[in-house]
Order: sequence, then structure tokens, then C-alpha cells
Amino acid sequence: MQLRPDISIHAMIKSLTDAVLPAVDPNNKLALEQLQLTIGLLSMMEQRMPLEFKFDCDELDRLLGFAVELKRHARGGEALADLVASETQGADVRRRAQASPAEVVAANRALRAASGAVAASAYRDGTPEQRAAIMKTVLSMSGQQLLRDRAWVMPQGWEAQPELVPPIADLLATS
Amino acid sequence: MQIVDKNNPPAEWIEALRKRYPCEAEVDRTLTRKMYRRAGPGYTPVPLETLIKGTESLLRAELKGDFEISDARWLSGGASKLQMAFSLTWNRPGTGREKAPMVLRMEPAESIVETSRLREFQLIKAFDGIVPVPPVVAVDVNGDHLPYPAMVYGFAQGVTKPSNSTSKTTGMGTYIAPEWRAKLGPQFVDCLAKIHNRNIPSAGLTAFDPPQPGTLCQELALNMWERIWEEDSDEDIPLLRLANVWLRENAPPCAKPVILHCDYRMGNFLFTEHDAKITAILDWEMARLGDHHHDLAWTSANSYGHYAEDNKTFLVGGFMSRPEFFDAYQKASGNTVDPKTLYYYKVYTAYVQGVISVSTTYRIARNGKTHQDVLQAWIMGYGYKMMDDLRVLLEQGA
Repeated sequence: MQLRPDISIHAMIKSLTDAVLPAVDPNNKLALEQLQLTIGLLSMMEQRMPLEFKFDCDELDRLLGFAVELKRHARGGEALADLVASETQGADVRRRAQASPAEVVAANRALRAASGAVAASAYRDGTPEQRAAIMKTVLSMSGQQLLRDRAWVMPQGWEAQPELVPPIADLLATS
Repeated sequence: MQIVDKNNPPAEWIEALRKRYPCEAEVDRTLTRKMYRRAGPGYTPVPLETLIKGTESLLRAELKGDFEISDARWLSGGASKLQMAFSLTWNRPGTGREKAPMVLRMEPAESIVETSRLREFQLIKAFDGIVPVPPVVAVDVNGDHLPYPAMVYGFAQGVTKPSNSTSKTTGMGTYIAPEWRAKLGPQFVDCLAKIHNRNIPSAGLTAFDPPQPGTLCQELALNMWERIWEEDSDEDIPLLRLANVWLRENAPPCAKPVILHCDYRMGNFLFTEHDAKITAILDWEMARLGDHHHDLAWTSANSYGHYAEDNKTFLVGGFMSRPEFFDAYQKASGNTVDPKTLYYYKVYTAYVQGVISVSTTYRIARNGKTHQDVLQAWIMGYGYKMMDDLRVLLEQGA
């Protein structure tokens, strides 16, 4: 998936700064202020988005430590039971959240590059049977991936028959 | 695996790509220039005054006699180049003193299709009197006068779509109402036939490598697009890798290369609504010499038409069904349409559309290289549909 928020935000900031801001009536103070705030918030999103997951994991780590400390000092009761349940659940989530989104993206990119190279060379040099198998495998994988890519950009309205593309949430729910 | 910083490409990598993917000389010059400038600044807004001064400098070098530029203003439209409209008071050769509307067409720092202004200038000149084109006046091949390479041509009257139509972006998905189809459709086909029947040796196309029968034209085109993919792409796409191998293995020999427009579609020509006449064929920048099936496949691609009111019949350019289009073209041009060759160029079209919409749009928006990066980012979303067309085509042929 190539059309990510980072590239979109980057382009939106440039458009607003270079094309829209100079065109706003300088006497329309409200519009000017709203636009400058919008550019400012988008700029902050662009900078902070790559750190969002780390920020959340860091917070979860500290909250888990906080819960351990609280348990040592608190008396029993319903509230403490809720805290223990939340701590157990949170610890489980933290165990499973070991790789960052950036690492997942990097792994995808490495696999794309390596499999693209292998698919091309194997198809070029293979026997007719191997070539047919490679073609079938690439087309099958591409069909699944492109369905998700198309569902991802569905709000843009490119599809002639949008009813044939399932919602992205449904497609991702099955993975 | 070698990881190259494509935003700051090393010279040895650029040279390795040039060697690995030989292209036509002018194409090579254009792409190489792009790569050596990539690490430089992105596009920053150019004041209208700068364009006026640059245009004056260009015209002083190119025109005989005095002239005056007035009424300069920005023109919108297209995903590729910047355009300024202005009036030129000058002595037009063969006509005398006149005040004529003109257009300056200039590249941004990098473009969705990095192309040669010299080739575009020569082509438009070559078709003067053959199909409706604006008269060309001057070209700044290397950006000696203007911030970036540019050309000046006459302003053609007309619109890119009927007032009662709807469209998405840069002419894609334009709905053509039934009353316009019979008026514009035949002219649309007739102009394409005339483009393909233009005599090449007399066209003065010095910025094009001489055409060769066989598969060389197509090999050069594939080299160009694979090179662009290497230069611009971010994440790899196995489908495009496989399609490239398939296209190289299956390139059909071309007995008689013709001049191809290479982006002949709704949105790239003007017409006047009051008499429904095509007034100018525009956007020649991707043109090349090659098999006429390339234009037929491109023009009839899913991206550049829509379904008729029956929701079943696909209309090429919004004008006529595919069988009607190919039949009319054969009659107008005398060229035949071979289904197997057409299929090949349908795959080629989807491959090229995929390369442009997923790789180049990403790279130029990422580096802030254009005057409308937000449009480049928007177009990226269309790449998946185009690549799915490619997948379906390969599946049909497999």
C-alpha cells in the first residue's frame, strides 16, 4: 500500500502553503487564522505520526508498572479486581505488540522487492510448467492485494462498480 | 540487496541505469537531467512576473522584430505542466502585425511524465495543417530563459469537456452525454487516423531516433518505462516485474512504425461547443514512434471512457463502443486492427499506467517537485485500479 497518510499530509501542506494561503483575502482574518492553524496541525501530524505507536507502547509500559505499584499498596475490592484484569489484558497486548508498524512496513517492502525479483527471473528462465505456476501465483497474490488496495482508496471514487469491492474493514477483519 | 536513496541518487547508480536501459537519445537526455537534479530543491511557486520576464527573454532570442506581452494570467488544467496564458503583439511571419492569445507551457521541477519540450514542439509543428493543433512559436529546451524547460504556442479556443458533463481528474472518467457522441466521435477517430498516417521522414522529428521496423521501437519504450520504474518507485510490485518480462518476451514486430500520440483521449483535445468542432489536439509530450495498436489500446482503455446508459456497453472516450471505434479507425486510416497485437498493447497500456500512477506520482509528491503535489498524491489512488486491469488482462491471456 503506497498511498499512506504521510505522503498525503505532506502534499496537502504544500498545496495549502503554496497555492491556497497566498490566495486568501488578507482582510478575512478568520479564514487566514483557520488556514494557518490547519497547516500547523497537519505539520504536527506529519512529524508525530511515525512516533504514535512508540508513544502508545511507552505509555502502556508505564501504566503496567504503575498498576504493579498500585496493587502493592491497595486493598482488595471491585476496583482492584478491575485493575488486575486490565493489567493482565494490557500485559498480553504489550507482549504481542513487539514489532513497530515501521518494522512491519519494512518487512513488507523487503519481501516485495525480493519476491518481485524472484518472480521475474523464475518466469524468464523457467520451464513452461514453472512459468505457468509463477504466473498463476503472482496473479493470485496480486488479486488479493489489489482488492485491499482498491478498498483502501474507495473514498476517492475510482471504481466503476464499487459494489464489487468489499469494505476495507471487512477484508482486514479476516486476516 | 542494494538499497539506493532514490531521493539523493548517486551518480554511479544513475549511469548504471542509463547503461542497463538504453533509450532514445532525447529520452535519455531528459531522464538523466531529471535524475541529476533530483537531490536539488523542490518546486517553489514561480511569480507570474518571473514567467513574463523569462518568456520575453525567450521570445527576444527566437523572434525577429519587436513584440509585447500583455494580459498574463495562470491557466489551470492537466496534471503535468504549468501554463500561463498571455497576449502577444508581434509580427507573425506571413501575417503581419497582430495581437494573438498565447500559452506558455512550462515543466515543474519534476513531472508526472518527464518528457522533452523539444519533442513536443517538433510534433505539434509537424501536425500543423494535418490535424487541429495550436501554432508553435518558441521552445526553451534546457530552461535557459525560464526557470524550467518550456514552450510557447498559440491559445486554442475550446473546452476539454461539454458543459453538461462530469469528470474525475485530468479528464479521466468524463461522462459524455449522448447528444455529443455523434458530433465529436467521428472527428476523434479521424484525427487519430491522420496522426498515424503522417509521413515520418518529412515531419522534421530530429529529436526522435529514426524508426526501425521490427521490435526495436517497443524495446526502447520498455527500456524507458523500466528505467522510470527503477528511478521513481518506492515499494516494489511483483505484478509489474512479471508484466515487464512478459512484455519483453511477447513484443510483436511492427512492420510500419507510425507517429503515436500516446495519450489520445478525452481531456487532451479542445472543441468548441457552439459548432462541436475539435479545435486542438493537445498534450503530445509522451508521443513516440511505434505500432499503431499502442494508441488504439491506450485510447480504448477502461480509464478513458465510460459505460453507456445500458450499463453494459463500454464507450471509448465516451463516444462509441470498442467494435465501432476499431471499425471506424480501420476505415479512416487503412490500418488493420490485429486482435493479438491489440491485446499485447492493452497489457502494455495497463503496465505504463501502473508505473506512472504508482511510482512517479509517489516520488514527485514525496520530494515536493510539482506545483500540484496534492493532485499527484490523489492520482496515486487510481494506480490500484489500473494495475487490477493489468492483472485481469494477464489472467485472460494466461
